Amino acid sequence: MAAPSTPTGPGDASNRSLKQLVLGRRDVQDLSDTEQELPSELMTINMGPSHPAMHGTVRIVLTVDGERIVASDVQPGYLHRCFEKESEYATYTQVFPYTDRLNYVSPMINNCGWAMVAEKLMGLTGKLPRRAEYIRVIVSEMSRMTDHLTCVGASAMELGAFTPFLYLLKCREWLYELLEKVSGARLTHSYVRIGGVGKDLTPNFDAELTLCLDQIVKVMVECESMLNHNKIFRDRMAGVGAMSKDDAIATGCVGPIARAAGVDYDVRKDYPYSVYPELEFDVPVGTTGDCYDRYLVRIEELKQCIRILRQCLKQIPDGPVMVDDPRVALPAKAATYNTIESMIRHFKHIMDGIKVPAGEAYAFVEGGNGELGFYVVADGTGRPYKAYVRSPSFVHLSTASQLIHGHLIADVVPIFGMINMIGGECDK
Amino acid sequence: MTDVVKPPIEAPKPAPVPAPPSDSVNLTIDGMPVTVKKGTNVLEAARTLGIDISAFCYHPGLQVVAQCRQCLVSVEKNPKLQPSCQQTCGEGMVVHTTDPQSTLARKQQLEFTLLNHPIDCPICDKAGECTLQRLYFEHDNADSRVDVTKVHKAKVVDLGPTIVLDQERCILCSRCIRACDEVAGDHQLEFAHRGDHQILTTAPGAQLDNPYSLNTVDVCPVGALTAKDFRFTMRAWELEATPSVCNGCATGCNIEIHHKHDRAWRLVPRHNPDVNKYWMCDEGRLTYHELREHRLAGALVDGLPAGWDRAIRAAADHLSPILAASRQAVGVVLSAEASNEDNFALGKLAKAWGVGSVYVAARPDVPGRADGRLRVADVNPNRRGVQLIAEALALGARPIAELSADVRCLVMLGAELPGVAPARLAELGIIAITSHERGAAAGARIALPAAAWAEVAGTVTNAGGLVQRMHAAFAPPGQALPGWEAVVRLAQATAAGAAGKLSYTHAREVFKDMTQTVAAWSALVWAREARPLALRFAGSRG
Repeated sequence: MAAPSTPTGPGDASNRSLKQLVLGRRDVQDLSDTEQELPSELMTINMGPSHPAMHGTVRIVLTVDGERIVASDVQPGYLHRCFEKESEYATYTQVFPYTDRLNYVSPMINNCGWAMVAEKLMGLTGKLPRRAEYIRVIVSEMSRMTDHLTCVGASAMELGAFTPFLYLLKCREWLYELLEKVSGARLTHSYVRIGGVGKDLTPNFDAELTLCLDQIVKVMVECESMLNHNKIFRDRMAGVGAMSKDDAIATGCVGPIARAAGVDYDVRKDYPYSVYPELEFDVPVGTTGDCYDRYLVRIEELKQCIRILRQCLKQIPDGPVMVDDPRVALPAKAATYNTIESMIRHFKHIMDGIKVPAGEAYAFVEGGNGELGFYVVADGTGRPYKAYVRSPSFVHLSTASQLIHGHLIADVVPIFGMINMIGGECDK
Repeated sequence: MTDVVKPPIEAPKPAPVPAPPSDSVNLTIDGMPVTVKKGTNVLEAARTLGIDISAFCYHPGLQVVAQCRQCLVSVEKNPKLQPSCQQTCGEGMVVHTTDPQSTLARKQQLEFTLLNHPIDCPICDKAGECTLQRLYFEHDNADSRVDVTKVHKAKVVDLGPTIVLDQERCILCSRCIRACDEVAGDHQLEFAHRGDHQILTTAPGAQLDNPYSLNTVDVCPVGALTAKDFRFTMRAWELEATPSVCNGCATGCNIEIHHKHDRAWRLVPRHNPDVNKYWMCDEGRLTYHELREHRLAGALVDGLPAGWDRAIRAAADHLSPILAASRQAVGVVLSAEASNEDNFALGKLAKAWGVGSVYVAARPDVPGRADGRLRVADVNPNRRGVQLIAEALALGARPIAELSADVRCLVMLGAELPGVAPARLAELGIIAITSHERGAAAGARIALPAAAWAEVAGTVTNAGGLVQRMHAAFAPPGQALPGWEAVVRLAQATAAGAAGKLSYTHAREVFKDMTQTVAAWSALVWAREARPLALRFAGSRG
């Protein structure tokens, strides 16, 4: 057994300075020659809460030794909106707009997750119209694309590559425009409903999405050629912020971060939901777990999304988009205005909310950042008794302090970019 | 919905059943055994099991007429469906409420009831607490099959001083007719015509004007009868309900204050089998308006606004020399309109000061009011309580009309001093702890703002000696404080607080002290504070 690297002396711990504690050195004799010549004082600096290279509003208090980070304190919470508590005061349907604001770069997936937990409690899982399930997968995958396009584009921009950012955000905008046509809102869609989706796809959706995907494929080829073998980009990404497979599992990381570290876990494959079992796609897995692998995984997932979407467009059946169950389906507007039966049903749905039987359920989906889960305790009324969201960003951010430890300040930017912390989701 | 696992229905075993007590019967409803008192109907028996058999015309406080046919159930060995409200429980009876036959009957009945129902929910006052809405959603929930024009009837029928009738919305359950008959003892409503032309109406030229008429609005399962007072003022589901006791007279009807935005919007009766059953009178129902009229929101000294501190100091400065000169010159007036706590605190203060004369102010009786039902002649909510407190504290209280000529200064609870001549009032230096600025309090030298009954936690004692708890529904206006707290401040400013026990910080401390003093109340305990129930979260209580 090796001897302790730092011999302990009397009154040791209390006499040590922060620097000594952090660096594990006892006194100046232990310093290298260079360091003895230029002994730097530790400095505490703020990164954020409002910083151009930080995703969302988050504050990091860095303790730096020169340019090197020796300690950090990551402080989230600036975007806390009491999602879970607010949900107790809203009907199940009224929670959808709140979920839009979780991961606001991929709101459709959040919508689906929330709908699924209510459906699980009501025993509707698997009983939705097939078209509704396909639409959910289509909009979810489009949302995953907007998520990854934003993440990759913004990270590249933060490392100086402005062109890919503009290109990729242009792609994202095409997708947003399509989602806006479908749902009526560009960003906060609130499109999914318990028992299906709010409305059917637009008549020309098939052709528009195909065109959109074709264009995105072309843009991605251009962007990959600009980034994949770009020396600056690779130097800044490769070997930076690496995480081992064991660490990823131990800290509860999911999604692209865990997959980049070699964890083959994707909710769509491992706990298949909706119509994913009917679709062919691969789950990319990395080897090194560094920022470059995370980038590659996201790029590959974008391609898989396109693959899934093309299959969906081929396979999507015609039919209703809402389950035929008066307990959950709002009556048609014409019927609401013209028959007392539908008027009452509409009133009860809106004012009392959809009655979800008492019980507890956890439903989870593969979000843009990994497993996004909703846990609900229902008491038989139209509002959740308790709601909880397992937000991947929150878990991932908890690893940020470790990941940036020992790196340069400049490395915070790619590491943080690739963690892809979304304030709305992390802070709930 | 959740699957109800029904135990298999077995043939009655020749089990060693002990002879049932003679006043109860055993029966089975939906496979679940239940024992109820003899004479209970099947509908009530099912309710004890948590089974909600739908019903419109049945009301536990009214006679059973089995008119709406909504509560039909199958009873084994009976070829036809039975109305469960009228079917008395029998020994060994086996009832099914979820079998296809009775389920279909309920659905069909609802479809029939909705046949000519207007599409009024968005403009209907009952929406959100409507029995028809609730039952349709829970028991039918089927689409309309009607493709003919609905039968139209009169929409805004003025039935009398308190009620407006919408004949289209009426589902002809006759609850209101029976409420008038049985609660008010006045047959003022009746059905006219037949079939889908049947309407609810009064006799030609007659009005619905009995003093209990607003109960018909409560019992109406739909929005046919609406109160002129509440119509279009507030959505039912926006309100919050706090339990309290009506302060309109000595009966002390149990009520719910329905409030929002720091004000009451209506009072509705709360079931209490010992006091008011399911009902209350119209006059009591409208007393909430007083909570917003002529309120004293800040302390006044000589009619000018003053803060609490200055007013209390002024009161002490005014009182101290008079008290020092003669204990007979200060009178203390308890109020039969104020709570037990306020009166007890002031009684204690009178004791601590050692004043010679204690009086009780009460609104004079209204003999015409007494009807042998809920309304009584005594319009004070707490005359009995004041009497018991005065006796327990040995205050020698007399009616205020017997005001002694020696008294130069009065410390009074409440606003009115009935029976005191205006000339005498003018020469008195009055220190009033009052929620309202009127009567004697309007001319008081010092007026201290007190919270009214709906704004405090406290108790009142009804004519029968029953001590009933009020809960604070909303905050009092401005700087008003509970009456007992004003008394405590006054006591501390006059050095009586240090000597006596007048250092209460919560109404329950006053209550505890009071129950230790008043022998008749020694067993009473302070009830837990009731949180307002947001009707939005209560679901439809229709």
